[in-house]
Amino acid sequence: MSAVPQLIVSTVLLGGIYALIAVGLTLIFGIMRVVNFAHGEFLMLGMYFAFWAFTLWGIDPYFTLVVAVPLFFAVGLGVYALVMRGVIHASHNVQIFTTVGLSTALQNLALVLWTGDFRFVRPWHSGVVLRLGGAAFNLSQVVAFTVAVLFTLSLFAFMKWTHAGRVMRATAQDGEAATLMGIDTDRVYRLAFAIGIACVGVAGVLISPLYSVYPTAGLQFVLLAYVVVVLGGLGDMVGALLGSLIVAAVEVIGSYVFGSAWKEVIYFVLFIAVLVLRPAGLFGQRGAEALGV
Amino acid sequence: MTRRPLAMSAAVALIALAAVSFALMGGSEGQPLQGEYKIGLLEPLTGPLAFEGKRHLDGYEAMRDMINERGGVMGKKLTLVVGDAVDPTAAASEANRLITRENVKIITGTYSSTLCGAASEAASRQNVIYWESSCVDPRFNKRGLRNVFRTEIDGTGFGWYNIEFIAKHLAPRFNLKPNQIKVAFLSEDSSYGQGVTEAARLRAKQEFGMQEVAAEYYAFASTNDFSPIVAKFKQLNPDVVHHIARGNDAVLFWRQSREQSFMFKALVHAGATGYGSIDFGKALGPEGNGPFVLAEPSAGLRLEAFRPEARKLETDFTAIIVKKTGDEPLASHRLAGAGLWLLKVVLDQAKTDELEKFRSAVMSLDMPVGSMLNGWGVKFAENGQNANERVQHYMLQWQNGKLNTVWPEEFTTLRAKWIPLGPWDQRK
Repeated sequence: MSAVPQLIVSTVLLGGIYALIAVGLTLIFGIMRVVNFAHGEFLMLGMYFAFWAFTLWGIDPYFTLVVAVPLFFAVGLGVYALVMRGVIHASHNVQIFTTVGLSTALQNLALVLWTGDFRFVRPWHSGVVLRLGGAAFNLSQVVAFTVAVLFTLSLFAFMKWTHAGRVMRATAQDGEAATLMGIDTDRVYRLAFAIGIACVGVAGVLISPLYSVYPTAGLQFVLLAYVVVVLGGLGDMVGALLGSLIVAAVEVIGSYVFGSAWKEVIYFVLFIAVLVLRPAGLFGQRGAEALGV
Repeated sequence: MTRRPLAMSAAVALIALAAVSFALMGGSEGQPLQGEYKIGLLEPLTGPLAFEGKRHLDGYEAMRDMINERGGVMGKKLTLVVGDAVDPTAAASEANRLITRENVKIITGTYSSTLCGAASEAASRQNVIYWESSCVDPRFNKRGLRNVFRTEIDGTGFGWYNIEFIAKHLAPRFNLKPNQIKVAFLSEDSSYGQGVTEAARLRAKQEFGMQEVAAEYYAFASTNDFSPIVAKFKQLNPDVVHHIARGNDAVLFWRQSREQSFMFKALVHAGATGYGSIDFGKALGPEGNGPFVLAEPSAGLRLEAFRPEARKLETDFTAIIVKKTGDEPLASHRLAGAGLWLLKVVLDQAKTDELEKFRSAVMSLDMPVGSMLNGWGVKFAENGQNANERVQHYMLQWQNGKLNTVWPEEFTTLRAKWIPLGPWDQRK
């Protein structure tokens, strides 16, 4: 039987997972112009949150989401107040060192608290296999993909059609002008960071039935999330979704046709080409990389 | 030849044998220990390898206590000075710290093939003995370093054993000749994965003429989906999947193979990571029934096949680990424990950590299989590698959430099941 249906389904579902992780990153990147190297660690914390809720109280990760959204929003607010606020106007070097430090601190905090053991969340739906036209896939992957699409569209709508979204876009375009217009930019950055962390917290909860939970789990995904953000266009939500699908397609089809060892060569060559030839990303407006939109 | 030299030789041999047995049994047991002897220990205790590094540390600490109850090393109380080798750079800098600040003359560790090279180079630069108990990188003992020794098998030995098992144990049960068997090789791309896989590929092809249908390497740290590989393998229809995995990749490959109903007759892995980790069983339970893992022995081991002194070591070590961790020893505990015990044997015989005398003591050891913890034997080559054929390894199989020892059959009371593997929902 042809492997084509399987490759298409795998691309779409894997793309959904990458999009889920990348939307929060692209929001923070686009609005605050901060490369958050600790993004993967918030993903890891989301996975641990789902794990403990499931292990201690038997709560299905999908129900955990109800608590995860406000919880990670609050975590985002807290981290912004304690860490990010102090470096938001500093040089990129300082921001990079700060977020790398935060990443290492969170990884090792998880290691101290929960050891380096792999943990697993196995709700009933993690073992449900669906079959469609010669392709097989997992129910949890379908849910993650659906939520990724919903999240991306919601954020897109929020940024496009709400007052808060317009304020955030205005701040992203020119922080100083926004301040002169009476916008409280600190509040905007705080909100952007909190929404970004809430998104990645949700991503962590949703992928917990699919992947092992361990202190460095975030590293497995976060590099790809940066590629997605660059391909999609800095700060562009729909671009992030499309970028995720491109990375997933390269990964799935590249692995099948050329072998697994080639997949990273292919998408990093693509990554460099986009940075050199179209720095705003495949789907971003020209000049957006300078403006941050 | 006169009688006297013959008698003298016999006497010397007997005394040497007695000395080794005395050391193996813990010669000065019960005598008060005079002073302390420090050994440097490098393990990854933070970062991505910490989950195994900490198990190794547990194994070392259990064996340290056991050694101190049996007379310590060279009559002194053994202490371990621990360094965190989170990555190769840290492994080298921690080795330097242990040597210059802690004044250790011997360093042991480091679990991972990504770490042992850097750590042993650093030790070598300062002429300190490096005693590796678990990394299996085949290049480790090929650098001409006189201070470097390894008690564990090397990666080529893993590959050798795996193909031995496929050709001599699995093939007859598949009703196939070895040269009719189709093998798909899959491995994470570390030096460990590549070393084992390349050795297995070479032997499978040259010695048994097995048919290689695929050889795929992947980056462990960034592979989140095996479905394209599973789809490809499904079309190639291998009898055996030879998969060297490192962590979550084992669970992911197995789960996605099940989702796609990828049918193969057996999956064979080597080492304490991936399928060899207890985490595989925790993640999948009975759904993980079937994979074979070449490793140190587990449940089902026949202690009667060991020599009496090794039997006692085995029983005591297991008891300490059970007390310490609440569970039977894992491969990580065993590698660490066996390595440290053998180091004690050497030090007690050499009575010094001066390199050339230590080296002579290492080279003089000659113990058959069944003499040591794990049923190992000992015979070091000039390059400092314990002979692969003496480092007895066992094939374990996941059976209802437990790793059971199933081969060689003379060493175990349990037997392999599901040969060939049946449909995914019928491996009960």
